Formats: sequence, C-alpha cells, structure tokens
Amino acid sequence: MKAKIVVAPRRATVLLLVSALLIVCGGCVTTSQRGDRCATPPASTNVLLIEPDIILFELTAGGLEEPRADWTETAKVNVAKKLDEVLKKTGDKLIPHQPPVNVPDRMHTQEQILKLHEVVGQTVLIHKYIPLYDLPTKQGCFDWGLGECVKSLKEDTGADYALFVYLRDSYASPGRAALIVAAAILGVGLQGGVQLGFASLVDLQTGQIVWFNRLISPVGDLRTPEAAEKAIQELLVNNPL
Amino acid sequence: MKRFKFILVFCLLCAVCASCATPRGTPGAPDDMQPSQRPDASSDEAGLWMYMDRIESRLKTSGRVVTDPALNAYVRQIICKLDPVHCADIRIYIVDTPHFNASMAPNGCMQVWTGLMLRAENEAQLAYVLGHEMAHYLRRHTLQQWRTVRNTSTALAFFSLATAAAGVGFAGSLAQLAALGAIFAYSRDQEREADEIGFEIMAKADYEPVQASQIWGDLLAEDEAGGKSARSIFFATHPTTTERIATLRNLADKTAKERSSWTAGREAYLNAIQPFRKEWLHEEVHKGNFNGSMVLLNRLLKDQGASAELHFFLGELYRLRGEKDDCENARAEYEKALQLGNPPPEVFRSLGVVCLRMDKAKEACDSFEEYLKVNPDASDRQIIESYINRLR
Repeated sequence: MKAKIVVAPRRATVLLLVSALLIVCGGCVTTSQRGDRCATPPASTNVLLIEPDIILFELTAGGLEEPRADWTETAKVNVAKKLDEVLKKTGDKLIPHQPPVNVPDRMHTQEQILKLHEVVGQTVLIHKYIPLYDLPTKQGCFDWGLGECVKSLKEDTGADYALFVYLRDSYASPGRAALIVAAAILGVGLQGGVQLGFASLVDLQTGQIVWFNRLISPVGDLRTPEAAEKAIQELLVNNPL
Repeated sequence: MKRFKFILVFCLLCAVCASCATPRGTPGAPDDMQPSQRPDASSDEAGLWMYMDRIESRLKTSGRVVTDPALNAYVRQIICKLDPVHCADIRIYIVDTPHFNASMAPNGCMQVWTGLMLRAENEAQLAYVLGHEMAHYLRRHTLQQWRTVRNTSTALAFFSLATAAAGVGFAGSLAQLAALGAIFAYSRDQEREADEIGFEIMAKADYEPVQASQIWGDLLAEDEAGGKSARSIFFATHPTTTERIATLRNLADKTAKERSSWTAGREAYLNAIQPFRKEWLHEEVHKGNFNGSMVLLNRLLKDQGASAELHFFLGELYRLRGEKDDCENARAEYEKALQLGNPPPEVFRSLGVVCLRMDKAKEACDSFEEYLKVNPDASDRQIIESYINRLR
C-alpha cells in the first residue's frame, strides 16, 4: 500500500495535445463553434452559471505542475466577477448554481452532469480543434451534446441554458524561468506556463451544446482582475447570449 | 564557443539554483498532523489538499463506493478505536474492487478496497491495515514524497542540462535512473515507517499483534501462486513482503507478552462482511487470476470451514478457466455445495452449463429446470428456457 501520489494522467494527455494545438492552430482566427440545428437563445433568457472549474498550477523547474490553492482561490474570485459583469450586460437573467448539498439524489445527478460536461468538453477540444483527430462522423458539423439528462438541471433551477467554464493555468516558478533562459541560450525550447480553457453553453431542454469556445494562450494570468477580464472576454467571444 | 556557452549556462544555473531548489517546503519529515489541522492556504500542502478534494468529490459519485451504512459504520468505529483523536478528520470510502489495497490521501480521504476486506480474516487484520494507512496521514507521507519528487526532478532538470552542455548526455540518463531509485527508496522507507506505526496503534487498541504479519503472509502466498513474485527490486515501491513479515513478526513476539489476552475480533468481522461476501467472491473469481484466487478460496475454506458458497465459487473458478478436466473439477465442487445445503441458486445454472459442455443433456436440462424453480424471477430466465427447449 502506498500513500496516494497526486498524478492526473488525463490532464497530462490534454496538455500534450495542447502543445500540438498551439502548433497546428496557432494562426486560427475564429475558434468559437455554433451548434448545428440549435436555435439561438431568445433575447432574454434564464442562464444557469455553473461554478467555473478552475485550477492554477506552478510549473516547477523540473517541469512538474504543482497545484496552488491560494492562486486558484484568487482566480475563482476574479473569473466569477468578470463573468458576472460580462453576462449582466446581455440582459439575461443569471442564476448562480447552488449545488443541492442537502438532497443526496439530486446532488449525485448534478455531479454526474458536471463530470459528463468535462469529458464532452475535452473530447470536443481534441476532436474539433486538432485536424489530426478529426472524427469521420463529425466532418463539417458541430453537433455535440450532453444528452437529455441535463433536463434535471432545468427542473431543479428553472434555467433554460447553462454556461460551463473550465480553466487550467500554469505559471513558471522562478526556477523554471531561469531554466528556460538557460535552455534558450543552448538553443533548446522549454515550455513555460500555459493557459487552457473552454466554455460551453448548453440548451437544458435538448442537452445540445449551442456554443463552444476554447482558449489557449502561453501568456495571460488569471491571478489579476485585468488579465482575468481579458481571458473571459476572449473565451466568451461570439457567444449567442 | 561551446565552452563559452557551457560557462555561461553553468554560472546561470549556479545563480538560480540557490533560489529555486527549495521552492515551498523543504524535503524531510514535516511535523505530525494535528487533529482538525488544515494547511496554510499558500503552502504546497494546501495545493495537494485542493487537488485531492476534487478527486474525492469525483470518487463519491463514481458508482464504485459501497454506501451500506452498517458496513461503513463498522469500519469507522475501528478507525476511531485506533485513533480517537484524528478519526473525525478521516473520511472512509469502501471501494468495490476485487484487489487487495487501501490508500490514504493527504486530505484524509481513505480508500479501503473490497478485495482487502474479502481477504482479511478478522477485525485485527483490517485494523492493522487501517493503522498503516493512518500512519501515512499522521506522518504526512504524501507531502514528503511530493517534495522529494519535486526537488529531485528539479535537480535532475538542471543536472541533465548542465551535462548536455558539456557534451556528456549519457551522464544525464544515468542521473535519471539514480533519481528514480532515490524517489522509490524514499517511499520504501515510508512504507516501513507506516508498518511500524500501524502495528503500534493496533496493539495499543488491544488487537492481537500476530495478525499484522499474518495478513502479509497470506498475501505473499497468494502473490507467489499468481506468478507475481518476480518483482524488480530496484523499482519496487514497497519493501519486499518477506522483509515486512519478518519485521512485524519480531515486533509481535516482543509485544505479545505484554498482555495475557488480545482481541482478534473474528466473529464480529465475519458478521460485518457476510452480506457482501457473495458479491465480492463473484468479482474475485471473475478477475482472471486463477492460481491466486485458488489459493485464496482454499485459505478461506480452511479458515472459515466448508460452506456451499465457497465450494460454489471454487467450482466457478474451474468452470471459468475451462482447461482439461475443469468440467469434472467444477462439477465435483458444485456437488459438494449441494451436499452442504442452502447453496446459492446459481449453482444449478452453472451445473447445467458444465453438464452441457460434457454432453450430458439430461442432467443439464434437469439442472436448468431446477435453477428456474428455485429462482423464478431470474433475469436470465428466457435464455435458460431456450436451452431447456433445445435440449428436450
């Protein structure tokens, strides 16, 4: 038996793919996607704001990602505030998501939906944005969804749409920064921190993703309100709300 | 030019090494965990907790957690008996997986796998393993290990780069091997420490000392039968089990004399797991490790006495392996189960399947009919009926 070591293989895979994304899609102008056969949300609608899933890491000199609780807390506050500001301007009614902690069955269902969204979102990120992983059945269309299970969110909250935001950000430690400089002198390119995120607007009646966008940037900083605002504006670009 | 680059890089590395080699928290043993202690928000430990909290919330809804209140309460009271001071900080998740394991995350999220619970013979054996896991938490082993890995990998990155600059890339890869060895050696030490502390708190809670070495001994026997004994010594993350058994047996010899009576808690334990044992045995025989499962089932037969349930699963093991003579072997075990009385209804179905393979149509048909008679609501009723119709 061992003490549990904190390693997330899926995350490592996603980050590997992100490096590929940066190379392949570096010059892409439009990154947001609109769902096929999805009606545009009406002018004034109820939008459920799922608590953004955010983790910030410090990239150690050795290349390990160390989760940072304090940075993550700051980023959560910054992102929530900016999301609120940006979306309030749309005239929609924003419903903050309050997990039904006291009702185990509903809590369980909602947790499953959040997990499902993360998997679907990461799948879209890989198969929609990296040409190498294009799926034959999804050529030239965007028809991803979570299925009708999301209806329970509608019943629980009265919202018509739900906005999911997923953000991961890492920053080079001073040691890593020094190593990058040293490696650069030798002609070796080492990766510094990277910002990765995606957002999706889900129709709670059909489960279809109405709009999806991804954010990948080697710069940017969610720890400051200004940079967080920039990231959110970039992430929410072309959203139909 | 190359030399200039090397000197430049070397100077840079020296300059920054001092500032970055110990980013947050130094390697070595931190203080023991205090009751209801939470890490400081800016610490590396808080980062690990945050990450584990997230994984824990996923674990809760994974569908593999045994939620039965009685079984959970039973395991919890053992933890509280072992360590009344910290038991409120520990959350226990009994995870339905037919392998021997238990784990402890830095935030107090403890996993106990059902494969372990199936194998423990009494409460004292489970208590020892729980004590071992508690020790990982109390001594903050994950944090220690994380710091070792982080600082070793940091040193490694610098070392690899410096040697690459000097044109000796080979030294870099040797350093990599050595660093890996260092990381795992550290974890071997932690396991030894957890064994000792686990033993100590188990004995303090009045559990019979000899049970600690017993559970490893049983596991070793199973492992050897399963062909997993050929392990790489260099990369083993655990001390060799024989070494752990010897250490624990020595400790038990010394401690046993301290008291005249100890608790094994055999009956209480077997009663607690009884409602789940059939399901756990079912998962065990479907694991596909015939030899290991065979050793386990024979040990349970020896320890807990002959029962229809155990003979049925021995039969299942032969039936699933399906090698030469296994139909006869399986049939013999099913017959024993039937003789012992009160067998699981599935014994008739399995007997039918085995007879079918042996071209004994009449017996197969009788067994299938008996299966539907004792289990009228069987979910596989239709397919069994189709067998019967074909055989008639």
